[in-house]
Amino acid sequence: MTSRVRWIKDLLWLFVLFAAVAALFRLWFGLGATTNLSDAFPWGLWKILNMVGGVALSTGGFTVGFLVYVLKLDRYKPLVKPAILIAFLGYGSSCFALLFDIGLPHRFWHPILMWNETSFLFEVFWCVLLYFTVTVIETSPTILERWGFRESRRFLHRIAPFVVFIGISLSSLHHSSLGSLFLVTPQRLYPLWYSSLLPIFFFTSAVGGGLMVVVLAGLLYARWYDPEPIYGTARAGQAPLVCALNGQRVSGEAKLTPGKELYRLTGLASISSFVLGIYLLTKIADLILSQKVAVLLSWTWESWLYFGELLIAALIPIVLVAIPTTRNSPKWLGVAAWSAAAGLALNRLNVGIFGYFRDAGAVYFPSLLEWALSLGVVAGGVLVFMFCAENFSFFGEGWKTRSKPLSIRGRMLGNPLRAPQIILRNPLHRVTLIAVFTIPLAWITLYPPYTQGRGQLRAVEASLGLDPLRSTLRIDGNRSGISTDFPHADHQNRLGQESSCSKCHHISLPEDKSTPCSRCHRKMVDDTLIFDHFRHMDAVAAQEELSGWLPVNHSCRVCHSEGQAKSSISSKACLECHDQNMSIDQHPKKEQDFQYAPSFQTAMHETCITCHKAEAARVKKPHLADCSTCHQSIRSRELVLAATVVPDR
Amino acid sequence: MYAILVDVTRCTGCERCVEACVLEHDLNIRAADKDRATTRDGLTANRFCTVLPVAEGRFARKSCMHCLEPSCVSACLVGGLTQTEEGAVIYDADKCIGCRYCMLACPFHIPRYEWSATVPFVRKCSLCFTRLKKGEIPACVEACPNQALEFGEREDLLEIARSRSNKDPSKYISHIWGEHEFGGTCVLYLSDVDLDALGWPEQEAVAIPGITEPLISKTPHIGIAVLASLCGLNWIIKRRTQLMGSAGEEEK
Repeated sequence: MTSRVRWIKDLLWLFVLFAAVAALFRLWFGLGATTNLSDAFPWGLWKILNMVGGVALSTGGFTVGFLVYVLKLDRYKPLVKPAILIAFLGYGSSCFALLFDIGLPHRFWHPILMWNETSFLFEVFWCVLLYFTVTVIETSPTILERWGFRESRRFLHRIAPFVVFIGISLSSLHHSSLGSLFLVTPQRLYPLWYSSLLPIFFFTSAVGGGLMVVVLAGLLYARWYDPEPIYGTARAGQAPLVCALNGQRVSGEAKLTPGKELYRLTGLASISSFVLGIYLLTKIADLILSQKVAVLLSWTWESWLYFGELLIAALIPIVLVAIPTTRNSPKWLGVAAWSAAAGLALNRLNVGIFGYFRDAGAVYFPSLLEWALSLGVVAGGVLVFMFCAENFSFFGEGWKTRSKPLSIRGRMLGNPLRAPQIILRNPLHRVTLIAVFTIPLAWITLYPPYTQGRGQLRAVEASLGLDPLRSTLRIDGNRSGISTDFPHADHQNRLGQESSCSKCHHISLPEDKSTPCSRCHRKMVDDTLIFDHFRHMDAVAAQEELSGWLPVNHSCRVCHSEGQAKSSISSKACLECHDQNMSIDQHPKKEQDFQYAPSFQTAMHETCITCHKAEAARVKKPHLADCSTCHQSIRSRELVLAATVVPDR
Repeated sequence: MYAILVDVTRCTGCERCVEACVLEHDLNIRAADKDRATTRDGLTANRFCTVLPVAEGRFARKSCMHCLEPSCVSACLVGGLTQTEEGAVIYDADKCIGCRYCMLACPFHIPRYEWSATVPFVRKCSLCFTRLKKGEIPACVEACPNQALEFGEREDLLEIARSRSNKDPSKYISHIWGEHEFGGTCVLYLSDVDLDALGWPEQEAVAIPGITEPLISKTPHIGIAVLASLCGLNWIIKRRTQLMGSAGEEEK
């Protein structure tokens, strides 16, 4: 094992440990406190990237199976076992991540007993469950081989063709159904991505991208363990990568013999780019036929994402595979494979997350904890892949060089900087050391009460979640998206903690400290009639009945003068009754008519500017009362410049 | 099939319906009032019914529309959402696994999730199904002081709505929201202003199960077809290699 592999493993372990802490927090604190999911974005990173994307990236298992067992293309036979391993690990890790995403993980088995045949999700569940079983059956012979088990392996080999065929049918069903999941949102998904052909797009892109993942796995395996069969041999008899690891430079004249196994990967990449070509053409045809070209050419940010997605998912891989020089170079083949895989993931994110931003009128960005779990699960999958590649014969003889891989131990002994590596050769010691540093770090960075306000802190005005401790409130009275950040904690400190509330707030609704200002100041520019006649009727009636005085309908005369038409003019002044229970002393407009709440803008401006002006004069800092003191965000400043107000919702 | 008719011209926005709903379902009153700001339309896990300003001086109640062809019922993978013969779309907490596909599937963004709970469930209006069983009308309708909400057989209410807008054509837009949209709903709206704010579609919208269910019913056939064609393809290729092999032998 080279030191490169060791470092990669260390890094992967770091991600896995972070994910372990994240998973613990997710189960302990619940979804709301740990993720940025909301009612506007019920599906987030774990479902879209890990499940929908992860499953799509592990299509290699069935496509290579199809090439070898159905089409009898024997040249890809050595790739079957790695491809099946990828499928097994891809599906396994996807389902593992999904366990943390669903609200009630202990009920994951419910769809086995409780059926709803009209649901695409139900179909996906069953197909994924069955296909996962298929991959278990397909991988088990290679695992069992290590310990013998000749009889059971013979049985597994006998049923293998049948299992492969079932696997292929199941895969073609659920990969298209994953696309059909999004058919339920014709009004919500951005039209560029919504199409009745979604199932076909999902299927073809998954087939193309999944093959590229097998290519990628082959390249990575070679890079990590044995470069020669793929990367070729230099004249000196060493693979160039090994030479590079040794610090030797391959001279320009040294002639490279191409790797003898490379043609298999190149062939897979060619098939993949053919499928991706079909995908690209159907995408373009769909754009034209369903008249979405105008949407695309409106140059919204979605158009750019759409172009970017097509570019990296299909165009770059196709071009790189089409040119013979790049096709036969492991480096460029790697670029093509990475590009296709990333493009496939981006497509799923577009369809599942970005496409909903415009309809939701909001933006979803996964929390740190979501990223940690998501990436950690993938890292765990890669670690298991490496473990299997090292300990079982997933990569056959063709993948191994005759000569022993070059050891770098000799160099390390002489180098004091490498000494820790020698001491920490035991993998268990290394992981323990990583854990000692990582787990506390993960605990601190991901601890939900620090990263997200829970429950009570969440609702004071529409706090959009930039400030972890909610010391700053985001004021956006009419939900126009244009907000002003208000340093609430700072004001509280300056004005004197708890006792200072009434300096700004009038606590009119008794015993209700949490009513948002916009509850009464409902409109942005107009005053709102807030007098609740029914509540007063009830209250008066209740009061009077208690004293055994008047029946309900006669309570009118408590406020309205008799003999006059009942109107607000003929009624008593509010203060005649409410002189005691309204703490209005500090409120700037106490003399005004209580039936109307001033507009939200007036309410905010009067409260803030009155005090700010006085303070500006006191401390002789005139800029304190400027518009820009509060309206600091860019959009908010535009508002001041234009001196306009976005109309009420 | 029962329904609720909302007459937007009569609604004063007093939120009596919301209050009644909160009390009827024994929801957290403080949370119902406080969390309204966290969502766009004010519906939360503690607030199944909300009143939204739809135009200057016009308000309308929004809650589950109880579609005739409910997308959520069709989408739920465990059948946790069902439609009763009264028209109510109700939720079975014992089946739910928390996948939240119903939230994605609902064209009106109705189902809400108890995000702050460690063991969370989906929350939504049930058309006061338990009250209907007892022969009572939904709490929100009972609480409305202005007859802006009316409850009854869907056909009767459509008739009432039609006669009301025919009688006074200048007062109403001659359109009953919910009669045909998304295959028809059990909450009908009669209004003099546009109701886009409530999530009604701008143009004709078909029922979502109408899009997905014809596709999914084909699934078993597609699966069997794929399996059959795989076997066929396999056989043809096997036979070809066999023939080519024997042809090669003959040439020798």
